[in-house]
Parts: sequence; structure tokens; C-alpha cells
Amino acid sequence: MPKQKITLAVTGLNNTDNPGPGVPVIRGAKESEGLEIRVIGLVYENLEPGIYMDGLCDRIFQIPYPSSGSEELIERIEEIHKQEKIDVLIPNFDAELFSFMKNEQRLSDQGVHTFLPSLKQFQEREKDKLPEFGEKYGVKVPASINLGSISQISDMEGKFDYPVMIKGQFYDAYQVNNEEQVKQAFFKISAKWGLPVIVQEFVKGTEVNVIALGDGKGNTIAAVPMRKQYITDKGKAWGGVTLADEKMMGLTRMIIRKTKWKGGMELELIKNSSGEYYLIEINPRIPAWVYLAVGAGQNIPEALIKLALGQDVKPMEAYEIGKMFVRYSYDMIVDLEKFAAISMNKEI
Amino acid sequence: MKITEEIKISDNGFVFNSKTGDSFNVNPFGLELLKYIAEDKDFDSIKDEILGKYDVDSLTLEKDFYEFCALLKHHQIVAQGDPMEFK
Repeated sequence: MPKQKITLAVTGLNNTDNPGPGVPVIRGAKESEGLEIRVIGLVYENLEPGIYMDGLCDRIFQIPYPSSGSEELIERIEEIHKQEKIDVLIPNFDAELFSFMKNEQRLSDQGVHTFLPSLKQFQEREKDKLPEFGEKYGVKVPASINLGSISQISDMEGKFDYPVMIKGQFYDAYQVNNEEQVKQAFFKISAKWGLPVIVQEFVKGTEVNVIALGDGKGNTIAAVPMRKQYITDKGKAWGGVTLADEKMMGLTRMIIRKTKWKGGMELELIKNSSGEYYLIEINPRIPAWVYLAVGAGQNIPEALIKLALGQDVKPMEAYEIGKMFVRYSYDMIVDLEKFAAISMNKEI
Repeated sequence: MKITEEIKISDNGFVFNSKTGDSFNVNPFGLELLKYIAEDKDFDSIKDEILGKYDVDSLTLEKDFYEFCALLKHHQIVAQGDPMEFK
């Protein structure tokens, strides 16, 4: 059977020490047996490594940051679509998801398909709403309060024992041991990520993660649990191994069933010494370690593309246990022309 | 005392817990002990095997064996049904 030709647009080509999922998403998509993928790389910065990786993207376009406004971003996508006829778009950054979710119908009317969670799903899993999420769906979550101002630190009294985690609503987390450190973390985080700043109970245990894909009807199309084996100073996995843990899988399937989750997701969990799992975060997109799932037998990018195109995808249940990934850094020698082209023309 | 089903043991002494992702290295003697445990042998028959093969006295063997078992339990490599087992 001839392969179906698809033009796929992907963001997140920043394969740095804080890697975006774009490059592994493309690798997975290109390994599809049924799809022939032409890749349009969408970048924010002209030094995103994915721009310079040979054979990765067929075309590259620079797009404006979502902070410059949804309209500007979507108009740029429409302009690129006129040239390249994008079939499927996979956004890979938390910060851009809102713009793409809000404009899902507008893009779809023009033939650009996405497969994203709904705004409601996206918002109810936000870090500052985790206690409500836990209660609504029957999931254990650490106790937390939101700080809208520095004076609210007094609200912590009697509610938490140190250490506690201080988190930004989008990114950044610090473990702190006293009130002075809470203040320092509050100022650092609020300056960068705005308010509220979240104070979260510290759950002692092992961090484990699950990558999953929901079909939007309550079915889990793919799910692979992983434990980070090597963590960078930014808290990113530099190595990991797939696990056999039915309890984690059951929890994942339950969350997807109850939320009717649509799209890729990553569950961040802490397993305490009694074997209980606490949900500390849901990332509403494919994580950067997605290629481990592909290597273990579940091609999540391929499945997501098919779902975006309205095709039927059967749930993948098997994966190889004890499969590992190890990241590496690699110096590419590139010509100035590519850098000049993306800098000057905003496309290659 | 049983080796839990998520434990995978390689011939070279690499032990992997597929539920937690932990991995351990055991030396050839540790591997031999793990094999006896996996074969469901009780301590008396393990003791007979070891005393017949190695130059060790019964008391030292017993002490080292329990120490090894405590480590296996701590790292969730074995599950102990009856707490009086091996006592």
C-alpha cells in the first residue's frame, strides 16, 4: 500500500539542555510505516538546533512568540500554510498551546489539523488548580496554596512543614526550607513567570512519569511509564528507563477516561515509600522524551497525526519494559548561510 | 521469601527492578544466592550447597546470608510473605 503523504508542521526544535519535543516528534513521525512525512519546522529562535540538523526538516520558518499576540502567530501560520499546505500541526510548547487551542477551528477550516486538549481540559490541570483537579477526579495531589502577593506567605503557617516546593505557574520549582527562602523563591519566580506563585507540599519519594495519548473520548491510545535515571540541573531527564507498573498505568487510564483527555500528555508523579502515587503536574503536550516511547514500541507522534486527520487509531497496549534512552550533546558544524537565511528571510 | 516478578536477573549479575527502574550489580556469589532463592530453595538446602562448595563456617555463612537477604528486602528484590521465614 502506498504511504499517505502528509505535510507536518512542528514547533519546539530547541534541542538544548532544556529540550523541546520537536526533534523527537519528527523522528517518530518519520518512522511511520503508513505515512510519508514532509516536515515544516517552526522556530522562534534562529539558533534552535533542529534548524541545522541535516535531513530533519524540509522547510523551516520563523514564527513570532505567542507573547506578541495570538493573532500575529496564527496569521504567520496561515501565511506559511498558503505556501506549504500544512496537513497537521503539532505545537510543542506550553506557552503557545493556548493560541492554537483558541484558533483550532479557524486553522481546521483551512485544512490545518491539530489534536489538542480543549480549553477546559487545559485550564483545569493548571498547577494553581491542582487541588481542585485532584478532588474532582479522585487523584492524590500534594496540598498547595496560591500566593498572589508576598504578604500571603503568612497563609502558609500551620498548613505546611518544611521543606516545601515553590513553583511558577508555567515553569520553575524550588525546594525551600524556611520562610526567608520562600520569599527569595517567590520574588525569583514571580518576576519571571508572574502570579500566582504556588506553594506545594513536598512529597518525599521517587519521581516517575507517564507519556500518554488520549483520543478525546476517554480512551487511552498510548501510555508508557518512565523513571528518570539521570537528571540535569534544570530537572530534565538526560536518561530514563521504561517501567512495568500497572498501578501507574491504571492511574493514567483513569485520568484519561474521566477527563476525556484529547491529545498528548505527560503525567509527573511522585511515588512515596508506601507505594502511593501523588500527581504533581500534568503537562498538556508531548514531552521531550517521547522518542523513548517510540523506541519501546508506541509511536505516539504517528498516532497523534492520524487522530488529527480523523483516522481510526487502535489503542497500543504493549511496550518494551526496561528500554532506556540516553541523551547526548553533539557539535554540528554548519555554514553561515543557513544562519543568515533564517535570520534575514525568516525561512529556509 | 520470593524474588518479586518484576525483577529481571541477567547471567552477568545485573539485577533490574522493572517496577521502580532501580538496577543493581551482584557479584558471582550474590548471583548464585539469588539463583537458589529463585529456585525456591529453603535456607537449609542453600546452606548445604554452600558449605559443600566453599571454605566457610556455618555461623559466618548464616550471618552473611541474612545480611544479604535484608539488602534484597530493602531494595524490593524479594518479597517476604512470612516474617519468620529464614529465622
